[in-house]
Amino acid sequence: MLPEPGVFHFPWEISSVQEGAAVRTYGRLRDLIASIRNPEVSEAVLSSQHLSVQYDITVHTAFVEPFLPSLHSHYIVLGDVERTEGDGVMVRARVLNCVDGINLALLQQAIVEQRRYLQERDEHASHLKIY
Amino acid sequence: MQTEQGEHEPSSLLWGLDPVLSSFAKLYVKDILRMRESSQIPVDDGTGVINCLCWKDEKWRENTDAVNSGATLQVSNKGGFNPVEQLKKLKLAQKLSAQLEIGDLLRVRGSVKTSREQREIMACSYYKVNDPVMEVQISWMMEVLHLYRDFYDKPFLFTKSVQHLDTAEGDDLLRSLSVLRRASRLLMSFIREKGLGSFRPKDVQHLLMPLLSCAPSCSTTQQESTVAQSSSKQVHHLFRDVIKALQDEGLVFRKVISQDEVYQVTEQDKELRRVTKDIVREDSGREKYAEKGCHVLHILSCVRQTYSRNVSKSVIEMVLRCLERDSEIFSTIDQNHYKYISVTD
Repeated sequence: MLPEPGVFHFPWEISSVQEGAAVRTYGRLRDLIASIRNPEVSEAVLSSQHLSVQYDITVHTAFVEPFLPSLHSHYIVLGDVERTEGDGVMVRARVLNCVDGINLALLQQAIVEQRRYLQERDEHASHLKIY
Repeated sequence: MQTEQGEHEPSSLLWGLDPVLSSFAKLYVKDILRMRESSQIPVDDGTGVINCLCWKDEKWRENTDAVNSGATLQVSNKGGFNPVEQLKKLKLAQKLSAQLEIGDLLRVRGSVKTSREQREIMACSYYKVNDPVMEVQISWMMEVLHLYRDFYDKPFLFTKSVQHLDTAEGDDLLRSLSVLRRASRLLMSFIREKGLGSFRPKDVQHLLMPLLSCAPSCSTTQQESTVAQSSSKQVHHLFRDVIKALQDEGLVFRKVISQDEVYQVTEQDKELRRVTKDIVREDSGREKYAEKGCHVLHILSCVRQTYSRNVSKSVIEMVLRCLERDSEIFSTIDQNHYKYISVTD
């Protein structure tokens, strides 16, 4: 059984992604915190700004330990979304890569364009089915 | 079943011929453990996940030990290019680029196969990509998008001449093109063999008779009227087509348009060659053409004034190419400009 693809999501969209879905997203490494449940495993917090609002994503790093954290650098995470207690959202990372120096604006543009294209294509295909 | 190490393995294209490949072979565990390793690598590009079959050569494993032990390459004191050392470095680089870990960015090239109802990519080449700031991935996303929009999603438009190729008319077209080509080749080889400088239609038309049996059938509208068409007429028509094609290519031309239909063979026309060479030589000395050389159209216009009005551009281009081949002139800024090679050049 192959895993689901990690579809690109913007950090502010992660909270609306369903449980168990595979995602790719990004953020600046703001913090490394020891998990309350298991002190040996740490969690990373990736932070992003969008329209003057800060969005934090908790990343469970068990599968990618050990990794050399570079605070305040940009990271890309590929992992599975999990709901935590309360309204929390967490990503269990399968891949966590430092991409410091990335052109975020270009990445955002690429994601938007790709989505637009794939949506147009799906709409076109469903039109054909109707007629 | 297994090739011995070092023995040449047949191409993957032929594997399907081996019935054992598609069956669940009953093997000793000992042999399974010794088998050549293939990695099933699931690759995720954000739109989907597909298995890639990447075969790892046993030779890598042997080389790994040899390379690892000497992994710190000693800098040669002699300096210069040391092929043995460079080869070791190359092998190490190749090996490292094939060692894969989860999270690595890969470029995979191969063909799509369906195996046990699953689509897979049978990789013919794969390597790790170093992409520290995601530049490669981002430009890949944009590039693929444009490829789809500009090419893949557009229906391929066949040119008009090819559009009806799978109709009966198309078959005829293909056959007549091939007959024309053969007829042109036949005529030219005869002319060259005999060293003809010029010829008349009656001298060569007979050569085309054997090709008539290959000529395409007439279209239905013409069928009744051409039932009685003599073979000489057919030869005549074929000759007309061939001579036009040869003229278009510049291989033959008519120096004088008159009742007497005489064709000059461009390669053999010594007078034309001399006149062209003189024009290029004289004009190459003039200040106007000294730097860039003479343009082919200028040369053509001079030849038309001095030699024959009926010389075409393709004929003069052929003459100029012959002169260049024989190192009498050379092309300057592009294939449209020539200068004379003087002794002082």
